[in-house]
This record gives sequence, structure tokens and C-alpha cells, in this order.
Amino acid sequence: MRMIFAVMYREYRIRTTSLTWLFYDLFMPLTYLLLFGIGLDRAFASGIAAGGGHVSYNSFFLAGVLSMASFGIAINTSYGFFVDRDNGIFYEFLTYPMTRAEFLIGKILFNCGLSVIQAILTIGLGAALLGIPVRWGMSGVVFAGVVIGTAGWFFFLTSFALRIRRNDMFNTFLNIAYFLLMFASSLFYPLDGLPAWLRNASYANPLTWHTDVLRYTTIGVGAPETVLLEAAAFLAFLAVSFAVAVRTLQHGILK
Amino acid sequence: MTLAEPAIQVEHLVKVYGERSSNPVRALEGISLTVRRGEIYGLLGQNGAGKTTLLRILTTLTQPTSGTARLLGLDVARQGYEVRKQICAVLQENAVEIFLSVEDNLDTYGRFHSLPRAEIGRRANRVIAQFGLEDHRRQKVIDLSGGLKRRVQVAKVFMVDKPVVFLDEATTGMDPINKRATLDAIREQARQGRTIFLTTHMLDEAEELCDTIAIIDHGRCVAIGDPEKIKSLGSRVVEIRITYASLAPDPLGPLQRFALHRLELKNATIELAVDANEVSPFEVLNVLGTLGPVINLEVTGGSLEDAFIELLGKGSGPGPAPWRDRS
Repeated sequence: MRMIFAVMYREYRIRTTSLTWLFYDLFMPLTYLLLFGIGLDRAFASGIAAGGGHVSYNSFFLAGVLSMASFGIAINTSYGFFVDRDNGIFYEFLTYPMTRAEFLIGKILFNCGLSVIQAILTIGLGAALLGIPVRWGMSGVVFAGVVIGTAGWFFFLTSFALRIRRNDMFNTFLNIAYFLLMFASSLFYPLDGLPAWLRNASYANPLTWHTDVLRYTTIGVGAPETVLLEAAAFLAFLAVSFAVAVRTLQHGILK
Repeated sequence: MTLAEPAIQVEHLVKVYGERSSNPVRALEGISLTVRRGEIYGLLGQNGAGKTTLLRILTTLTQPTSGTARLLGLDVARQGYEVRKQICAVLQENAVEIFLSVEDNLDTYGRFHSLPRAEIGRRANRVIAQFGLEDHRRQKVIDLSGGLKRRVQVAKVFMVDKPVVFLDEATTGMDPINKRATLDAIREQARQGRTIFLTTHMLDEAEELCDTIAIIDHGRCVAIGDPEKIKSLGSRVVEIRITYASLAPDPLGPLQRFALHRLELKNATIELAVDANEVSPFEVLNVLGTLGPVINLEVTGGSLEDAFIELLGKGSGPGPAPWRDRS
């Protein structure tokens, strides 16, 4: 545990050297919800049908924003490998007395804390300013979902960040991955009305699983059985991504 | 792990990068060496000789393709975590937290090595003074010069007490005063019983510091031994520099009968180099003594640099390594 705290402390020190960065991370999702969400809310003034119910677009989009924010923090954290590599400190870290798993867990735990604060701000101000009917009783599950989502995406992206040596290549990879994952998912719109090929692709997307779990726990939209299945699938995705990331750190850095 | 075990034992270590690619690179070709506990061991070699690869394997950054490497009895390929508890390393790349201040760099390093907080402060103050960083302690590292960044990086390893210290070109970019402070600190670490494994291009530094030196070339050891032994492996060149109060006409004439490597006359000073295997330096000195009244005489043996250049010149490429001290 001591090593995990040491890595977390280091992440905290690095993050707090730039308050702009921190501010952006904390308020970006809320800003997204307030600007993009409100725009689409007006466009779909009568609300949208989702999961057998009818909700405002703002309410529907809340889970999408939370999910996107988790993904964003995971991207920033995985991008940190390039910064550390450029500063030479990355390889030195790997000679420190800790396991590769401790290194990865410590690195994401501090950032998971950030994503929880981000979620509190987004949900709280979203409910206060936009009247989103949040299920406050499920808050604990929502925050757990945010943490698991951030960690899952970070571990997934870590393997790529470690194997792709060039940060411009990693940027391109991220742009393509983000684009595909975001639009082939339930982040912006319900899947029911999509063409079969896109709907099927979206159901196979971990971003859909994560978003659906957050949507169910925040506003109660979705079938509980499906959501449970999606939660289990995302946990499996996290476990596999973690194992692959640890293995990459152990064997795939300097081949 | 027992006290009888060497600090580092490397046997037939091979490392091939890109093994499955069409263009694999063989960085280590079956290297073997033993580092005793408490010694300063220097690894010398040209760029690309395999020094950094060996260091990466020993610090658990990469896995060997075949062969074994043990550190304090621990297998570096299989017991990486246990090995990392026994080491600290200054790698070739500048490794500092550029967005943090000097003292925050030392603080985070101390935490990573499980030092108590009060101890971190005490040791940070000590190394800040030792490496002349007092005026920069609150400055962010990004704002420091390259040499100062290197100083911060090297200062970090002197915060902790690990049995084995790896230093890869640790003094590169340092000014002479800080280089001296670093060398003193390294010696002090060795006196306290720590094993120091260093790679360097500075042959004078290696000669001054190391108990044992290994010269590697193309991933193989071409020579191992103490600095004197290594120097003796080169051709036995003796340099003579003699200054006279006055010289007879044509003073170099009597010296023409010797097969000298170099012969120069500068004002009243004669400089020459002689291979002791071919010509007796004493015979040359006898003749030099007849050329005029002597006011200064310097006789020096071959340097480590001479041996290094000669060994690598002869030892390049595959094949047996004739100079290797196998004792």
C-alpha cells in the first residue's frame, strides 16, 4: 500500500502544479452538459424515448457526459506516460521498489479521486441548474461506476501508450479510437433507433456498457437485467485490461 | 541471499532486441562478469557496446534473451520486485520531475524508497548541501540548466541506502567541482559497504574510482581486471619528457637509433614515447642523460585510455577475446 500511496502522492504533486489543468478536468463535463446538452435539449424539446421511458435530453445525456469524463481522465493519465518518457523519469520509476501493478494502480487512483469530484460537481450542478431528476439514493453506486470506468479505460489505454513509442501516433490512435467508441455507443443517443450494424457494434462497446450503468444509476433509465450484464462485462473488460497493462509493463517496454 | 554471494553475477548473458523482426539487434553476446560486494565496478565501452543494455537488465527494465543475471543472489529476470528493493539507479537519460521543485523531487524520491518523512527532510538537506543546490532548492527543475538537472538526478540516489547503486554516465554534463563532489560521494558510498556499478566514457574517472574495470565491445567482454592490470594489457608505452638547461647541437641525432613511437623537440624539452616491449626505456634514458644538464624529468606509463583504444582496436568484432583476465 505504501508504494501505491507514493505514486498517488506523486500524481497529486504533478497535477496540482497546473491549476488550469485541474480546473479543466473538474469542470469540463459540466460545461459540456451545459452547452452541448442544453443545445440538444432545445432541439429535442419533447424529450427522447429511451429504455422504455421518456426523458429530457439533458437527463439522458448526463450519463454520457460522466462516461466521457471518465474516458477523458483516463486519456490524460495514459498520456502522462509520454510526458514521463520525455522527461526520462519513466524508466527510473520502473527501477523503484514497487510492483508494476502498484505503479499502475497508484497512477490511476489519484485520478479516480478526481473523476469522483468531477462527477459530484456535474451531477450536483446538473440537478440544480438543469432540473435533472437524479436518483440520489444510488449515488454510491454511481461513484463506484465512475471509478471503475476511469480505471478500466486507463488500463486499456496504458497498453497502447506503452507500446506506441511516438506521441503523435498515440494521438492519432486516440482520435480514431475516441471517434469510433463515442459514436458507436449509447453516449449521445439511444441505441433502439440505430441501424442493426451500428446497434450491434454499439452493444459490443465497453463505452456503452459503462454509460448504460451510469444512466441506470443516475436517472433510472434501462432494464436492470441488461444493466447488470453490462456491469459484469465492464468489470471483465477492466480485469483483462489490467492484466494486459501489467504484462506490457513487465515485458513490452524495451523489447 | 548469503553474504558469500557476489553482489552481481552475470553468466553468458545474451540480449537480442527485436528477436522476431527481420532485423534483430544483438546487444549482448554471452557476457559474463562477477561484481564483489562493496567494490566499485566500472563498465567501459564505446557507444553501442552493450553497456546500457546490461544495466537495463540488471535494473529489471528489460529481460535477457538467454543466460542468467543474479543480484545479491536474486534472479533479475524472475525476481524483479525483490531486486528493485536492493537497488537505486541513475540512468543515462535525465530523469527528474521537471514540474516539481528540487526539494519536491527529493521528497517524492524519498517516499518511493519508503523513508520516513522526518528522515526525508534531513537527508534532502544533506544532499542539497553536498551537491551545491542550496540556491535552487525551491526552483522548478524545468527552469534549471542541463548540468543542474543532472545534479538533482544524481543527488536523489544519495538520499537512500541501497546495497547496490547503478550509475550510468552519472557525471555527464557536470562542471569539475560538482563532478568532484559526485566522485567523493560515490567513494563514500563504497566505503559504507555499498556496491557501485558504473558505466562511463570518462576513462580518468574510471581509473580513479574503480576497483575493477570491464571493457566490453560488441556485447562481449574484451578485458576484466583492476585498472593497473587493464593498463598493462595495452602495449607498454612509456612516455618520457625531459627539459634541459641547455642542449648540444643536433640533440635528436643520438636518439635516431631507437625505434621510437614519437620524438619531438620543443625549445629545450624533448618528448618521446617508447614501447617497452621493443626498446628498453633505460637505454633511452642513458642517452638522454648525455645531451645536457637536466632540469626536469617526467616518465609515465601507458594510460587506461591507451589500453582502451588499443583493446577495442584489436578486440572489435566476433572471435575470442585474448586479453581477458580469466583468473
